[in-house]
Amino acid sequence: MEALSSIFQSFPRLALYYTTVVRFVFVVLAVFIVGRAVISLLRAKTPPEIWGYLSLPGSHFVPILHWENVVGRDKSVDLHVDLMTVSRNHGTLVRNSRGDWYYSDLDSKSGSKVNGKTVNGPTLVRMGDTLTIGGVDCTLMPPSLAEKQRNVMMREKHSTRFTPWASLIALSIFQLLTCIQLIAAKGAELPFMVILAFLLFGASMWIYCSLLRSQGQVCFEMETIVFFLCTLNLAIVATSDAAGITTELLAIFLGMGLFIIMCWYLRDLRRSLAVRRILVIGSIILLLINIVFGSASFGAVNWVSIGSYMLQPSELVKIAFIFIGSATLDELYEKKNLTLFVGFSIFCLGALAVMNDFGTAAIFFVTFLIISYLRSGQFGALVLVGGVSAAGALLMIRFIPHITQRFSSWLHAWDFPDAGGFQQVRGMSAAASGGCFGLGAGNGWFHSIFAADTDLVFPLISEEWGLFIALLAVFSLVALGLFAVRSINFGRSTFFTIAACAATSLIIFQSCMNVLGSLDIFPFTGVTLPFLSNGGTSMLTSWGLLAFLKAADTRQNASLAVKSVSDDPDEIFEAADNDEGDYYARHGRARETSDNYSEVFTETHQYAGKRSKRSRSKLSEDVVEDVVDWLDLEADTPARKRRARHARSAKNNPKGGADR
Amino acid sequence: MKKMKKRARLCIALALVLLVGLGYYVYELARDGGDWAAYPGNGDVYTNGYLGKGAIYDRNETLLMENTDTGVPYYNESYDIRTATLHAVGDAVGNISTGANRVFADKLVGYSFLTGTHSVTGNGRHLILTIDADTCAAANGALAGRNGTVGVYNYKTGEVLCMVSSPNYDPTDPPDLSGEDMDGAYYNKFISSTFVPGSIFKVITATAAIETLDGLDSYEYTCPEVISFGDAETDRITCPYGHGTQSFEDALANSCNCAFADITLKVGPSVLEEYTKKSGITGQYSLNGIKTAAGTFDFPSTDLALAWAGIGQYHDMVNPCAMMVYMGAIANGGVAVNPTLIKDVTFANGWDADFTFKPGKERLLEESTAEKLDSMLHNDVVATYGEDNFPGLDLCAKSGTAEVGDGNTPHSWFYGYIRNEDYPYAFVVLVENGGSGAAVAGDVANEVLQEMISKAPMD
Repeated sequence: MEALSSIFQSFPRLALYYTTVVRFVFVVLAVFIVGRAVISLLRAKTPPEIWGYLSLPGSHFVPILHWENVVGRDKSVDLHVDLMTVSRNHGTLVRNSRGDWYYSDLDSKSGSKVNGKTVNGPTLVRMGDTLTIGGVDCTLMPPSLAEKQRNVMMREKHSTRFTPWASLIALSIFQLLTCIQLIAAKGAELPFMVILAFLLFGASMWIYCSLLRSQGQVCFEMETIVFFLCTLNLAIVATSDAAGITTELLAIFLGMGLFIIMCWYLRDLRRSLAVRRILVIGSIILLLINIVFGSASFGAVNWVSIGSYMLQPSELVKIAFIFIGSATLDELYEKKNLTLFVGFSIFCLGALAVMNDFGTAAIFFVTFLIISYLRSGQFGALVLVGGVSAAGALLMIRFIPHITQRFSSWLHAWDFPDAGGFQQVRGMSAAASGGCFGLGAGNGWFHSIFAADTDLVFPLISEEWGLFIALLAVFSLVALGLFAVRSINFGRSTFFTIAACAATSLIIFQSCMNVLGSLDIFPFTGVTLPFLSNGGTSMLTSWGLLAFLKAADTRQNASLAVKSVSDDPDEIFEAADNDEGDYYARHGRARETSDNYSEVFTETHQYAGKRSKRSRSKLSEDVVEDVVDWLDLEADTPARKRRARHARSAKNNPKGGADR
Repeated sequence: MKKMKKRARLCIALALVLLVGLGYYVYELARDGGDWAAYPGNGDVYTNGYLGKGAIYDRNETLLMENTDTGVPYYNESYDIRTATLHAVGDAVGNISTGANRVFADKLVGYSFLTGTHSVTGNGRHLILTIDADTCAAANGALAGRNGTVGVYNYKTGEVLCMVSSPNYDPTDPPDLSGEDMDGAYYNKFISSTFVPGSIFKVITATAAIETLDGLDSYEYTCPEVISFGDAETDRITCPYGHGTQSFEDALANSCNCAFADITLKVGPSVLEEYTKKSGITGQYSLNGIKTAAGTFDFPSTDLALAWAGIGQYHDMVNPCAMMVYMGAIANGGVAVNPTLIKDVTFANGWDADFTFKPGKERLLEESTAEKLDSMLHNDVVATYGEDNFPGLDLCAKSGTAEVGDGNTPHSWFYGYIRNEDYPYAFVVLVENGGSGAAVAGDVANEVLQEMISKAPMD
């Protein structure tokens, strides 16, 4: 390092030439690293997993693609039984992590029976048991062992493998060039710790990937993207706050630790559900501690100091908030669960209001809205609550003097360059001087502005690294999130999908507030940019949120957070120690695969996610016959009589469409 | 589970908000990036408010100002040139907000959207202005310390050759401006100010008349010296003396207020308003991004006020540069060439560093009208101002003596152009509180133009 800095010192022009060339190299490397991961993420098909079949009379098999399924007549349900006697949302069929299936009735009109017994509350349904809904007898069947094997094979075939090595090499070169750039820019001023931090971080990402690869993990897209973002983060801290780089590196390591622990924790749904209670209590205590012992930092009382370290409790509560907002399918139909979530949200928002932390409150509120919508699907309510709150916020901005003052420069930063728009104006001018390729890390000036490395990190990256890398960093955050959204198609439990979508929304909305706020397009509220802003708690939380995204990645061996299924037949057989095993024992291990059965299976793969047309086709005549008989028998109410008439006429006149 | 898929689209909508926001930012950056980078608070470009790079030259590559990284710029050695080009060049700290060192800072540091302000050489750019330093010095000398402005431009190419605003000062020794005698020293009056036009506005009234009134060739009006519109002393339009019987051409040459009151009332408020707008003087010209001040007018329907408005008094306010461009349009057969200040931007080694676009053109009046005005404006010189006062210049011009009220001496205006293929120059001269238009401002114009045609044509 000293040798290098003395070379730069003896040839002053050299640093300038180095920066001039290397800034293009940075863009190329960054495009390669992020592009490779994003393309792999976007290309990745998440192949369906088949957990069983619901066999309807007439050799009609409906594949069960999720752990949590709604059974009913509505087109949007998971297990579609197209009969007038079946309620729109008739019941739920849910698999727990042990592999046991439970059926619950959702107050359906005609009720449900398992093996002839009326269902009250969650009822265990064993493989081969008969589930009667709307008068139709369905049988729950496991996929055959051969199919399970094929299942895994197909998933492996469809899961694009992403070997991290090329990206890691590129990233290591990126880090090396960054170190040289920092030495060129800062010379002897640069603490040795900065170089050491890059070295340690570089080593840690190699170790992480090697360890997990040796454990059979194959997909590292999200990790490489985040490693890239953390590299930028270290470079930002090196220029703006070189003395704090040890703390930041520590935060990255702690974040990685939290990520691994959370991934491991999220593998088990029951465990994840159970931890929520502790998190509620923990969060409430954290926020109360913050309110009582918190110290004010430029308007917001959102810091708690522990020794020489400053902690931002509201950041950590974000993780808890997502845990608590997420729910399994069965819980979505419980009032108690919703009440807990709403109550907790109100508490968090109240606490943030007391702390005067407007930006974080906005993030919590938007995440709350999105979780509520994900849970209920009521867009109208979302628009209503969102609209009323926006109107309320506008009124506050308009009429409460100190808030009005704070927002007066919004969209007019250039009219108040030395008042409300001070930071944004300097941010934009610094960003402009960076152009598309930047002035080189350490060559900028903007880092000396207050909060440049946290709230205004986008302009700071634009100045030193250029517009391309700044945009790339934000795009990769968006790509991380959108990949999680995509993998919902074959999510196992709504708990994971709600968590992934909520974490995505939180990350993206926070990025909006940070990036667009620093550019005077959104109000400037002073929130951090995940993974990029300088700040330990923010870094820790970002890694925590990443665990939720990773948990939604159900590709074969893709995710630390998802238990993988073995493709070894013996292992599959041994693993089937629950009722599936019994079923195999009763029906023979190499159960015959009927033509129809395997056809459904193949189609399900082919249509990857889209329900095959055939499985939605009309039920056979004899099923209709059964139903009509049942309706006649049970036709004790006018409504049922009407339905019976309808079904009968449909039977006599097939063109009329029995499945209307 | 399946229901979740649709609901998750909300996350995608949120991502779109972010991407649209970023898209808008990139658009803004592409549009305003130069101005942003040139903002004096930008520490990449400025040190303690001083621009650290770039040099400004006149059209003959005479150095006017060179920024240095010490914060103290180097200026031209001649005091006369330093003071005369002060407003064109600007000062080190940006007090003169329309100065080249301030507004073209992005060009001086070599800003571009792609590379920002990064420079391989570490040096700034050379900005070559269209002005001629010697002419500016001559113009400033002719103003002789009186407040006002002189502008000359090539009406074929749009290049501004002379641009002087007074009061001005020596940028190497900036004065303390708390004293009142330096009022307006930070303003480039040629670009940023508006003044009462007085009789020079009659050219626009005449344009409206030529294009809308029938029988102007046989127009005859006997000047009554005074036209009363009411009983009060102020309800009158007056001429210094009775001009006798006036043709349309005579009325302009003699600047007969009574005749122009008559013509204005014949034209009417809406037509006069339309022609004022068409003349471009209510709009803003952009000199490589520096916007001129827009002229303002009221055209009321009451006869007295309308008559004054048509004579260039009442609420009329005009910008000197815009008036000069109008003269340029007449000289150019009705087509105005937008004025421009930047001749070239080069690297320190002389290589071209920027695209220079041909300035825009706009037709302000009909060709036949321009021809008619051309002969009338020349007649002004022959009949009233005296060709002997402008030896060797084939001059077309109009003077103005604009009443400014409060017992102050009127502003003295003179604007026009010379009919010369090699010297296609249009000009405007304003001497504030100078008195008689033709005598005072006309003299300044003559001095400047004589200096210019004594030299080789400026290509």
